[in-house]
Amino acid sequence: MLTELETTLLGVMMMVIMLGMGASMTPRDFLIAFRKPKGILVGLLSQFAVMPFLGFLLAVALGLPPALVVGLLLIACMPGGTTSNIFAYFSKGVLALSIMMTTVSTLAAVLMVPVLLSFYGGLAGVSGDYAIPASNVAQILVVLLVPTALGMVLRKLNPNVGATVELIGSFMGVAVIVFLIATWVPRNYLLLLETPAHVYAATSSIGLIGMLFGYWVARGLGQDTSRSRTISLETGIQNGPLAVLVITLSFSAAMQQEVLLIPILYSLFIVLSSTVITLWYRRNATREALARDAAKLGTAP
Amino acid sequence: MTVVNRPWLAAYSTDISPELPAPEHASLAHLIDQTCTTHAQRRAFTCVVPNGMNGTLTYRQVGEMSDDFASFLRHHCNLEPGARVAVQLPNGLAYPVAAFGVFKAGCVLVNTNPLYTPSEMVHQFKDSGAEVLVISDMFADKLEEVIAHTGIRHVVLAGVPEFFPRIPETIVRGVQKFWSRTLPPVPALAVPVLRLREALRIGRGAEKVGDWDSLLRDDLALLQYTGGTTGVAKGAMLTHGNILANLAQVKIMGGRHMSGADCVLTALPLYHIFAFTANLMTFFDLGARNILVPSPRPVQNIQRALENYPVTWITGVNTLFNGLMNEEWFAAYPPKTLKAAIAGGTALHQAVAERWQAVTGTRVAEGYGLTETAPLVSFNPLDQPVRAGSIGVPVPGTDVVLVDDAAEPVAQGKPGELLVKGPQVMRGYWNRPDDTAKTLQNGWLFTGDVAVMDEDGFLTIVDRKKDLVLVSGFNVYPNEIEDCLSKLDAVLEAAVIGVPDTSTGEAVRAYVVQNPDVPDTLSKEAVIAHCRKYLAAYKVPRSVVVRDELPKSPIGKILRKNLKAEARAEAAGKV
Repeated sequence: MLTELETTLLGVMMMVIMLGMGASMTPRDFLIAFRKPKGILVGLLSQFAVMPFLGFLLAVALGLPPALVVGLLLIACMPGGTTSNIFAYFSKGVLALSIMMTTVSTLAAVLMVPVLLSFYGGLAGVSGDYAIPASNVAQILVVLLVPTALGMVLRKLNPNVGATVELIGSFMGVAVIVFLIATWVPRNYLLLLETPAHVYAATSSIGLIGMLFGYWVARGLGQDTSRSRTISLETGIQNGPLAVLVITLSFSAAMQQEVLLIPILYSLFIVLSSTVITLWYRRNATREALARDAAKLGTAP
Repeated sequence: MTVVNRPWLAAYSTDISPELPAPEHASLAHLIDQTCTTHAQRRAFTCVVPNGMNGTLTYRQVGEMSDDFASFLRHHCNLEPGARVAVQLPNGLAYPVAAFGVFKAGCVLVNTNPLYTPSEMVHQFKDSGAEVLVISDMFADKLEEVIAHTGIRHVVLAGVPEFFPRIPETIVRGVQKFWSRTLPPVPALAVPVLRLREALRIGRGAEKVGDWDSLLRDDLALLQYTGGTTGVAKGAMLTHGNILANLAQVKIMGGRHMSGADCVLTALPLYHIFAFTANLMTFFDLGARNILVPSPRPVQNIQRALENYPVTWITGVNTLFNGLMNEEWFAAYPPKTLKAAIAGGTALHQAVAERWQAVTGTRVAEGYGLTETAPLVSFNPLDQPVRAGSIGVPVPGTDVVLVDDAAEPVAQGKPGELLVKGPQVMRGYWNRPDDTAKTLQNGWLFTGDVAVMDEDGFLTIVDRKKDLVLVSGFNVYPNEIEDCLSKLDAVLEAAVIGVPDTSTGEAVRAYVVQNPDVPDTLSKEAVIAHCRKYLAAYKVPRSVVVRDELPKSPIGKILRKNLKAEARAEAAGKV
């Protein structure tokens, strides 16, 4: 479990991350993005249709206990994490699309996460103490939209402050994961030792499977390879720390411990798997760029 | 050639005086000093990097800092008035501080392209005899190969985020150093190397240079290198008087449309004479605000600058306007505060001008100028309806005449080489009396451009004399063909050159770039069919080459000479 101080700290860190996310763009970027909304809509589809369904399937297939089912479903239903923007940048993806997808999915999450969670939760038979009240999730998300909006205003009023806040937010996105792992793992290493292999398999694979599906859904819907790679990363990378925050604010101390297992493991694994995938995507992007150059010169690559 | 008609005087609106008034200022140093006092509290320059981070200098700060830099040059570097100082910087706050400091020191500014290769740098520094170099820290790695071969005694380094507030400066430098890796380590050199801030600190401690009253209008202000198209670059000698006259000419043509309340977007490089005079000097003189963009490529780099500031004027070249309109953020939300755009540097295509009008609701006023004329020669009066394709009328105090190969004036309406006389015409090429004698005769500057003049005195450039293509004895002007090609939707950009041809002597070859908005629509057949519709048979391109991009100069002029060189190499390879 997290102490009260740690929970507060997590909340503050999330606020900073959301402030940074808001500061990464201006209201006009929104308007422009929605003039050609196909990429974002495809992204939303893979984010809120593909991922939650995958999470549900995995939970059922692995026959997880309720505490872990809740954790897995919650992770699967989360909006995109802001770290996806860093990975999109390094993979030579479409940064603007990544930023926009993260923001739009976070906005949509206010409605989508409570709905999806109760739907799949019901389907998986999660009930009683383990059910997360929809209003809780919605409240937390609404509260987080305040710093997001504030970030956008900051960007508009003072671009220097805005861009600085954006940068701090990006670093905080990585710092929060380190923070979670550093505070949770030492206290729960016994739990980790007892955790069965299939839980490790589930937490390490859901992100990867999400990326795979994200890519092919996007390709299938006519997005080019570069945008598809961006959507792929965006789909697989969920806002893990947000899930942790929702859990710490929804469960009593004893239950938290168990439910947190999956989001924490996910947060750890997604950093590792995204790094590998990013390197691979980057190679593909470079190869495609070289092929284009070669085509310009009229020679085969 | 002594009797000159001025049919264009009728085109001047009532607020344009036909004669140029005597300049108010004795030198640029005097102008800069006075302007900084008059508008002390106003913001003079704001530099905006692509993520929107920015720094601003007020007129007072620019005045003080350039004073400090002048003292540094004179007292620390021991430069004499008239000594040459090379400034090799992208657009940023360091540029005006350095350039104005050079003028206040009574020295001569040698504008240098930051993207020059070491051998180009060596040529320019040796040729000009530069003693001090102010260079962007992004290119410090070139110094090792350069300095030993030149007479440079002091090097001053300046960064893109120079004079930004501390935190943004640190972040931008951090990004340059660790992320984009564009900050090379500074090599060990035999001459002292200082950062600009350090140089200013030294200058502040020294005695203030105040002897610019002794600077005269005929004193040299600028060595502006040009003529890379043939042979080596030569330095056009522009005096304080040349620039002051041209400033006055630009301001008269701008008339009531230009004032200290304006905000001009400077995306073109300041080391080029167009932006140097039109943006830096003119709008500074007015007390207006300059928004400096370090690099307009990709065009997206301009987005935050246009969004965050109330830009009223944009200067650009055909490719920049075209590039902007192909950006969704620009086409969907063109700046509301914009009054007009000024085009120059290269021919403005009609299709681009018309689209600009449709997209922004403002006009592009096309002007014409050369490095040798500081640069403005002619401009479209802003209160008159747009004359398609015209470069306007000669600016006040300027005479022009069109001549044939025997240097005799041609009949009105006939094409001839454009000759220019006026207070903005350079003194000659630095240390090149032969080139000067060829270009400047009896006060007339031979521009090498072929133009026609209509009965109202409006000029239209036909083409560069040397780019003319001779097809079976017929003159074909590449501009005309390029303009026709740019009207085809599938064409993003086009360039036309002549290539040797066994049957017709020369044949027209077109290079075209596919417009990404309408993919896979460009074919040789489509291009030729389009040209057949609008052009006489001998003007229709014989061959069409589809390219992903065209070679361009730093300010975005399409370089026909590079294409010609390729074609020559290709022809040589075939034999």
